[in-house]
Amino acid sequence: MSSDFYTTFILPYSGIIIKICRAYTNTQEDFEDYYQEVCLQIWRSHDSFQEKSEWSTWVYRISLNVCLTLLKQKKKHHFVSDSLPDEAIEYSRSFPDESLNQLYQAIRQLSDVDRAVIMLYLEEKSYQEIAEIIGTNPNNIGVRIKRIKERLKKLLDGKVN
Amino acid sequence: MEKSIETIWKEGFLKNDALVAPKLNNLYSQKSIDIVDKFRRMYKINRVGILAFAFIILPVSFIVKIPYMGISMFFLFTVLGIIAQKFSRDLDKLDKTQNSYQYLLSFDNWVKEMASTNTKLSRFLYPYVFITVVAGFWFGSIGGDIPGNKFVNFILLKYPDTYLIFGFPLILIIAALTIISLLAYFGGQIGDFDLKLGYGRILKKLDGLLADMDELKA
Repeated sequence: MSSDFYTTFILPYSGIIIKICRAYTNTQEDFEDYYQEVCLQIWRSHDSFQEKSEWSTWVYRISLNVCLTLLKQKKKHHFVSDSLPDEAIEYSRSFPDESLNQLYQAIRQLSDVDRAVIMLYLEEKSYQEIAEIIGTNPNNIGVRIKRIKERLKKLLDGKVN
Repeated sequence: MEKSIETIWKEGFLKNDALVAPKLNNLYSQKSIDIVDKFRRMYKINRVGILAFAFIILPVSFIVKIPYMGISMFFLFTVLGIIAQKFSRDLDKLDKTQNSYQYLLSFDNWVKEMASTNTKLSRFLYPYVFITVVAGFWFGSIGGDIPGNKFVNFILLKYPDTYLIFGFPLILIIAALTIISLLAYFGGQIGDFDLKLGYGRILKKLDGLLADMDELKA
């Protein structure tokens, strides 16, 4: 991957990648691995970008696919994190804003797909775009978002472990 | 008033250092070390398996009264274990202080050398295993009888005009020689297939990583 490609096509969209990777990881080490894998995958598959959608939508899609695949691989191999609790606690304070850290903690407790849906919603993607990125029916997205928001609210209020 | 999740999200990312991208410096170095370490673990399991088989088959062959096969197999698998041990030592000598690309190239060269030795050995290995197994059973002992002699007697009873050479039916000699020739001819390919079966996935990853790095250097 050339530094030109990284600077032009990845760095301006790194916020998207960071936001998604943070939701699917529990340690800084995992986060960096996921981030790098997403960047690598964007670089590898940029030739197949057909400009039917925006580049940012493409980045969302690849980021989510990579994160979900890596997460699946970890579960398949019965991965047990050997990270220290201190490291996990430190990671849960990755963002300077405490409310955002709490929101991320709650998002990490959702199912893999719900995490994707709510992040795309928070990124102000339309139901149609969310459905396209995730590969689902747009009719169900609204109901699903409503349920996820309710669950997040309960998690943030400390009503659900 | 309590903030909505939408507000938390928006305001949280407004802070300057909320989205700091990690550096991509070590992208390949960790991957390189992971691939080689994984291969090393698999190779060790294989090597221990070969030696364990050699030491198990020897007493077992005496118990089931096919000692010739057991001794030959013990000899064969011990030699294979020693060769694997030699390659394993070479693998341990790879210099981890090189850069990722050089490290992977050294590993790739090691793999090529190991695969080439495997191909050459397989041309002898498979015919040897065939001869050993057949001879082992032929000259073994079942209830005090030699199975080979019993088999020849059975053939002679059914086909009395069977032509014998040194007490062996000609047709069986031809069949055995054909199989041995085929195994010798295709042994290299069988060996390659066997190697791919065991290490194919990881070697494919190695090729992919090297291709990426080649492109990166271009």
